[in-house]
Amino acid sequence: MYKIDIFRMAYKNLWRRKVRTFLTVLGVLIGTTSIVVMLSLGIGLNESSKRDMERWGSLNQIDVMAGMNFDEQGNPIGQANPLNDDAVNEIKAIPGVIAVSPGFNMGGRALWGRKEGHLQLVGLEPAQMSQFEFEIAEGRFLEGDDRFNIVVGWEVGRNFRDRREMDMMRQQQMQQETSTLEMMNQRISMEVNNRNGQKKIYNFTVVGVLSEKNMNKAWQAYAPIGEIKRIRDYVMGGARNTGGDPRMAMEMAIKGGGRVTTSARSSREPQGPSPDDYEFIWVRTENVDATKQVSKALKEKGYQAYSMADNLEGIEKTSKTIQAILGGIGSITLLVAALGIINTMIMSIYERTREIGIMKVIGASFFDVRMLFLTEAGLIGLMGGIFGLGLSYGASSVINHFGSGFINRGMPPGEVANSLSVIPLWLTLFALGFSILIGVVAGLYPADRAVRLSPISAIRNE
Amino acid sequence: MTPIIEVRSLIKKYRVGTEIITALDGVDLQIKKGEFIAIVGTSGSGKSTLLNMMSGLERPTKGEIWINNILINKVKEKDMAAFRRSYMGFVFQSFNLLASLTALENAVLPLILQGMRSKERSKRGREMLKILGLENRMSNKPSQMSGGQQQRVSIARALINNPKIIFCDEPTGNLDTKTTKEIMELLTTTIKEKGQTLVMVTHDRDVAGYADRIIHMVDGIITSEENKGGVLVNEKVN
Repeated sequence: MYKIDIFRMAYKNLWRRKVRTFLTVLGVLIGTTSIVVMLSLGIGLNESSKRDMERWGSLNQIDVMAGMNFDEQGNPIGQANPLNDDAVNEIKAIPGVIAVSPGFNMGGRALWGRKEGHLQLVGLEPAQMSQFEFEIAEGRFLEGDDRFNIVVGWEVGRNFRDRREMDMMRQQQMQQETSTLEMMNQRISMEVNNRNGQKKIYNFTVVGVLSEKNMNKAWQAYAPIGEIKRIRDYVMGGARNTGGDPRMAMEMAIKGGGRVTTSARSSREPQGPSPDDYEFIWVRTENVDATKQVSKALKEKGYQAYSMADNLEGIEKTSKTIQAILGGIGSITLLVAALGIINTMIMSIYERTREIGIMKVIGASFFDVRMLFLTEAGLIGLMGGIFGLGLSYGASSVINHFGSGFINRGMPPGEVANSLSVIPLWLTLFALGFSILIGVVAGLYPADRAVRLSPISAIRNE
Repeated sequence: MTPIIEVRSLIKKYRVGTEIITALDGVDLQIKKGEFIAIVGTSGSGKSTLLNMMSGLERPTKGEIWINNILINKVKEKDMAAFRRSYMGFVFQSFNLLASLTALENAVLPLILQGMRSKERSKRGREMLKILGLENRMSNKPSQMSGGQQQRVSIARALINNPKIIFCDEPTGNLDTKTTKEIMELLTTTIKEKGQTLVMVTHDRDVAGYADRIIHMVDGIITSEENKGGVLVNEKVN
């Protein structure tokens, strides 16, 4: 028997008992809807908390900081690894790592035309910048051969004020906001003093502005690491010889515009890092899972690694539990629907005992009879699944419509609104497959009964 | 020539509650190819049981049934469906059409089960229904047809496969005299044309009169055989 013929016959049989079929389908429909909507709420919850976290830092990025790890009692674990090129290469070799960039921080007074302000510079491997999760609003990322070019964060412009305006408007609370986009292709000059009292001015050109979505990167400007290193070396001047903490010295030199003094803190560190060591290393990973693994590997190797994904595990655990509970509630409904299918199919066999007998006498094989009943049950499941999904999408959009105000309160403008209920494609396919499966499984026992029906006693009941 | 159906010392016993009923008590029968046989007897004589045994719908307690040189006692229940599909056609007293299918669909049901393409089987079904005078009823459901028409559809269904043997269980039991005559003539001429073997169970003497040979059964045994024209050819005395 051709599948299409079995299918057609099954369809006809279901159509013949419209009301009963409809009611059974309704059961599956409600079951499917309850599972899908429940799970969609769980998924929505998970996604919105993930998105909230992402706004404060990429889940695919690990920051490796100089220094050592401490256990819960505050005792150091192992020795601090110096952040040098060996470390960069070692980190690059960890599976799951896409890109690595060492970096320095440097801040100082800067001029932008007539405006003055504080510029916080982050030196990065320019060729690697596009690998990290920056989003460009205008211009471009840093590239390999960039020298005195910088990419500024969305809020950087707000740090700059016209000197004269500042005086005039001092009394006024509200100052005119400076749009960072105006900085495009502008020259920013940074004045640097070293400990010998010398002064040097470095000019940077803004080649890109980051999108406002990069909230955690909004207040910094990004520059090629080579240049930052050179400026840093200049600032330190003779500081090296005195064994001071170079980072601290530099920071003081720039901020105070004065001399680099010897830090008392550095003398307490027996394995003081080399002055050429990087301040931090950024690690870009393939995905969240890789982040967790790489982060763990880094900590095992003795690095002080930090990523947003560290916080994710707890949240994921919670949302998994919530999803399981919600899904479980939904499943019960579908289970009841499955009982409905079994009942309908058994009823149908009682009614059609004679028909099944005739088909068997005429030469329907066991396989055909079984397939016919499984197809009927599967069709009930499928129809319930399709209509249930339709209803789920409807319910989901209603929930989102009325619930969005509640969940998106306090969101920054321009952000994509979070949804209470999210139905991803996999859930759609899963629901469809699952409802068919439920139908077929529910049909197994009735189909077996139909197969075992003796044809002779079936046609004898006159 | 070997017979197309051969029954050897067939015994069938049923258990009804604690009682054991002997439906067939040693039946021997040979049916030649192309023969029309009527099995006559009162209700409870075992004639229907014999028919069911020969068509493989029931299993004998003892004895052998050979169909076309195949011992069907040994054919598995699972394979029996395919066996019936390719060797046998059935006509019942109560027509036994599927209520949800049209006349045409009912007629070609064996072809559907066999796995024939829709186009080809519809063509064959139409031809067959035309022969049986149902060209205007093709897409009618059984409930929209008279008894005679329904029985014609079921004959079409029995013949559509060109089976070697056709089993009829009281084919005219639910029909009036005029329709009975029409149906019997239709059936006889069709099978004679194709040289098919017909085994019919009936308690109607007139209907049995169409047969080449009439077999009388009483209490599970064959008591006598009659030739066409009522000539007694064999009488068994137990």
